[in-house]
Amino acid sequence: MIRFDQINKTYPNGLKAVCDLSLEIEEGQTLVLLGTSGSGKTTTMKMVNRLIEPTSGRIFIEDIDIMKKDPIELRRKIGYAIQHIGLFPHMTVAENIAVVPKLLKWSEDKIDKRIDELLSLIGLEPEQFKHRYPAQLSGGQRQRIGVARALAADPPVVLMDEPFGALDPITREQLQKEFIEMEIKKTIIFVTHDVFEAVKMGDRIALLDSGRLQQLATPAELVENPKNEFVDQFLGQHRFQLSLLTRTLKTIIPETEQTASTCEGPVPLQHLRAKSSIIEALDMFKKSGKTALPVYQKRLFIGNLQKAELLKAITGILGERGGTT
Amino acid sequence: MIALPLGVYLSKSRHLKLVSIIMGLAGIIQTVPSLALIAFIVVIFAIISLPTIGTVPAMVALVLYALLPILRNTYTGIRQVDESVIEVATGMGMKPVQILFSIELPLSLPVIMTGIRISTVWTIGVATLCGLIGAGGLGDLIIKGLRSIQIDYLLAGTIPAAILAIIFDWILSLVEKWLTPEGLSGGVESRV
Repeated sequence: MIRFDQINKTYPNGLKAVCDLSLEIEEGQTLVLLGTSGSGKTTTMKMVNRLIEPTSGRIFIEDIDIMKKDPIELRRKIGYAIQHIGLFPHMTVAENIAVVPKLLKWSEDKIDKRIDELLSLIGLEPEQFKHRYPAQLSGGQRQRIGVARALAADPPVVLMDEPFGALDPITREQLQKEFIEMEIKKTIIFVTHDVFEAVKMGDRIALLDSGRLQQLATPAELVENPKNEFVDQFLGQHRFQLSLLTRTLKTIIPETEQTASTCEGPVPLQHLRAKSSIIEALDMFKKSGKTALPVYQKRLFIGNLQKAELLKAITGILGERGGTT
Repeated sequence: MIALPLGVYLSKSRHLKLVSIIMGLAGIIQTVPSLALIAFIVVIFAIISLPTIGTVPAMVALVLYALLPILRNTYTGIRQVDESVIEVATGMGMKPVQILFSIELPLSLPVIMTGIRISTVWTIGVATLCGLIGAGGLGDLIIKGLRSIQIDYLLAGTIPAAILAIIFDWILSLVEKWLTPEGLSGGVESRV
């Protein structure tokens, strides 16, 4: 869906922001560009909507070279949300959200409906919030509206540059959770410097350093198999925690039990899914106080997980990390 | 009319050095007392042999003087618009013209209006001084009054001038209120 082909960005003063970047993003996937400041992640993202133009190389969206398109037209079909939000202070919430749809000449009716739809999606009561001004909103509310605004014209591609960065950690986590639950089926490029945010939000992570791609992998793979020393150091002492967040129960439940049976009956309230992470499983065990929980894959029962087994698996992971601090 | 577009143009100009020179110049000219400015123009006009008395030089002085506050304020007003707002607007696909009219101008309105109000009030004041160069009007009455120390003339000149200034300022403040979008007026309950 989106393809970077040997992208380079060198500034007139000689600074090489992005070097030889090539990667592909499938439709409907969320790719996280992860790295420290100056790693080139934001520069890379901004080349997709041509706020920054590459020095060499090409970018394709749906196999069309974006340089061949009019940048303004291109941007209207790409959602854009930034860290400092940038809501227009002189416009109401509704007017803010309506900006791109109006540029695309949607009918008023369609726009009104869309505004209500989006506000409900982000958990803000439409009638209450439509006519408010940004100055009257809290940081978390503004950030949500920034996201709604990016989604307003229903673009196939959405770019998000540390969209939750300006919030306090609690609100940030809340919004991350909400965003994941929204299950937005769009191709998303998400920039962050926070590795925990990356493993939460991304289907795949592209770790960058000094403009170069260090590793492109799923969160689990990145944590389990760091490709080089940089990645290893980047994960640093968080590797254990990250393991717990990225390893799923599928890796723990013994193979023999993974035969889905056509077990009748409704899925009990307290259950686990095969793709739950270890952390989620621990949470559920704590909450339920049980020693064994059923595991489901989609709606099919595939076995019971004993708490003891889970703990054993965790100790196992600890053992693996024995060598590093 | 002249200053506003010029101010906009300058605020967008990439030639930062040139712009700062112009702004500096504008600042200096503004500090020159209006009387001196008028005198200055009279002298220049004399050199290039244009009429030194009457309405023409008066108009030149007035235009020049009125220009500067508006120019500076327009420039400053647009420059101080939050960068991230502009970035988002561009990223969303607004054309530069659209950004100017729907975002930059509304957001710099308070500053620009202040410039216009200052300019208007001062211009009225300077206009009275133009009486010195025979431009007529209220200034004339004031000058006559000063020369002959007759209170009547003085009052006949100064009071209308002052009232004029006050009325214009008031009208402009109403215009400003009318033009300012609700979100910025601070009249709505703001959360910090």
